[in-house]
Amino acid sequence: MALILIHAAEQGLLYGIAALGVFITYRILNFPDLTVDGSFVTGAAIASSLLVSHGFDPFVVLLIAFAAGALAGVITGLLNTQLGITDLLAGVLSMIMLYSINLRIMGRPNISLLRTHTIIHAVKGGFGSLGNMSILLFVTLVTLSVMFILVLFFKTEIGLVLRATGDNERMVIAQGVNTKRMKVAGLALSNGLVALSGGLVAQYSGFADVGMGIGTIVTGLAAVIIGGSLIRSRKMVWMTASVLIGSLIYRTAVMFALRYGYVIGFQASDLKLVTSLIVIVALVVPAFRERMAKRVKTC
Amino acid sequence: MKRVLLAVIVGVVLLSMSVLVASGTPIKIGICQIVEHPALDAVRQGVIDSLTAAGYVEGTDITYLLANAQGDMGTAVSIAQDFKSQNVDLVVAIATPTAQAAAQVFNGTDTPVIYAAVTDPVIAGLVLDADDPSENENVTGTSDLIPVASDIALLKELSPQIKKIGIVYNPGEANSVVLTDLAVTAADNLGVTIVRAVADTSANVQVAAQSLIGRVDAFYVTTDNTIVSAIASVISAAEEGRIPFLVADPTSLGSGVTLATGFDYYQHGLLTGTVVQQVISGKKPNEIPVTYQSKTLVVLDLDAAAKIGLTFPQSVIDKASKIFYGGAIWEQAK
Repeated sequence: MALILIHAAEQGLLYGIAALGVFITYRILNFPDLTVDGSFVTGAAIASSLLVSHGFDPFVVLLIAFAAGALAGVITGLLNTQLGITDLLAGVLSMIMLYSINLRIMGRPNISLLRTHTIIHAVKGGFGSLGNMSILLFVTLVTLSVMFILVLFFKTEIGLVLRATGDNERMVIAQGVNTKRMKVAGLALSNGLVALSGGLVAQYSGFADVGMGIGTIVTGLAAVIIGGSLIRSRKMVWMTASVLIGSLIYRTAVMFALRYGYVIGFQASDLKLVTSLIVIVALVVPAFRERMAKRVKTC
Repeated sequence: MKRVLLAVIVGVVLLSMSVLVASGTPIKIGICQIVEHPALDAVRQGVIDSLTAAGYVEGTDITYLLANAQGDMGTAVSIAQDFKSQNVDLVVAIATPTAQAAAQVFNGTDTPVIYAAVTDPVIAGLVLDADDPSENENVTGTSDLIPVASDIALLKELSPQIKKIGIVYNPGEANSVVLTDLAVTAADNLGVTIVRAVADTSANVQVAAQSLIGRVDAFYVTTDNTIVSAIASVISAAEEGRIPFLVADPTSLGSGVTLATGFDYYQHGLLTGTVVQQVISGKKPNEIPVTYQSKTLVVLDLDAAAKIGLTFPQSVIDKASKIFYGGAIWEQAK
């Protein structure tokens, strides 16, 4: 039991970085960006092909993955701001282009990292004494650092302008700021984080596959919305933390669906249904409690 | 063939039964597959049926944890982790990503991971060497590699006019890319050219197949999950172009393909079951090399051939074990 919670937490935090990327576009920039289904794989593809073919350091490849993802975000941004393609379509086009590009990067649809030195081996060597907790500790450190860097970034001048661009673009234009540039920057940051998450997940899973990005936008949005409905705050620290909590809840729901779904009579094929039902319960219970509390007060 | 295989399985396992069934607690086997798909479902059923036929009664001798990642690679990792925390005695992982996830999660443990339906386990990183299992650690399994070269030769045997063969495949499927590359090499040796058309989803198969009409003399589809799911699209393109179509899936016989080769994935499951039994009976994964599906079939559809004006040469008819004619399947005694 404890072990599956540890694993759910590891995955929740690793995918949480991608969810933070989705958070930037969806909540801050108000730009529904579908590039992420492709840029997640780009991160995994770059990281694993550099690890396998060129023997790069497993930490350095994560930075390169971030840069590659950021480039993908820039392309979506330019399609939207310079060529005037609508936000949704710009994201879709990038996502489709990235499918082919990712295949090019990898050279084949699947790269195995089972016999490669990855961060997992490095961490097990470094914090080996912690046993089962070593990976969780590492993942927590990485994810919280990303979160705090983001929080600090959004306190800088550029960060504040980025937030304002999403809130009230006209006001920002009136201040003499080029909002197009801000959008491109926001998309770059978002997709960089998504690709970083992809690079981490590939090393964690032991392989990169061209199909591994399918649903990144869905799980990312799920995390953003679950977190947002549980913690309502305008403070950046709480907003980003809520995204990670949302991601943790989603991955725990998957684990619980896997473990207990069949106990209550569900089959293996019902997994996605059970996962969603657990998420619904996680969302409804706090809201229901709130309502009950209000009712008691009004009595 | 099924019966013979079952008889062999029963024989092998009667020997091993004494070791494990006597021990009392049921063996816990986790079976994980990447997605719902007729071929992969058949593998799972084959594994279970093989163990049942060998005398392992579900509930008393053996329990199964069945899981399906429903196409999500992150879930494939979660499933392997769930199996690990439930202390399964053995994992059966069906298809490449599931096998890689299980190998990663169970790395460094004693729990055997038996993969199935992986075309090239060496490229997939599951084992270091196909023939020498000594470096395998806890992983071994079965490969569904099909004899691509003999398929190309068979197409050529249909008619000497076949010079260009069109392959529709999904560049996102690891298994399919391996087979398509093998086909190109084999075709080179036989003086035939391969023309590729790609479809990344089953919805795009129609367009990909139609793009080949007039440019190729025959269609060939390997064990590509995406294309086989949309086989009707390739069949209609082949009929439109009045050219023969070979698919490496004998269960497609009667659907309109001209001829089919390979094996039924249920047989692949039975074969995987025999590997599972070897491991249960005490053999270590590092003593078992990659097991290949050996017996492949040739099946022909005379009705479909008549539609495109093709007559099978006698040499091809002699190879067939089943023939579809007059709307029914006829077994050919061999």
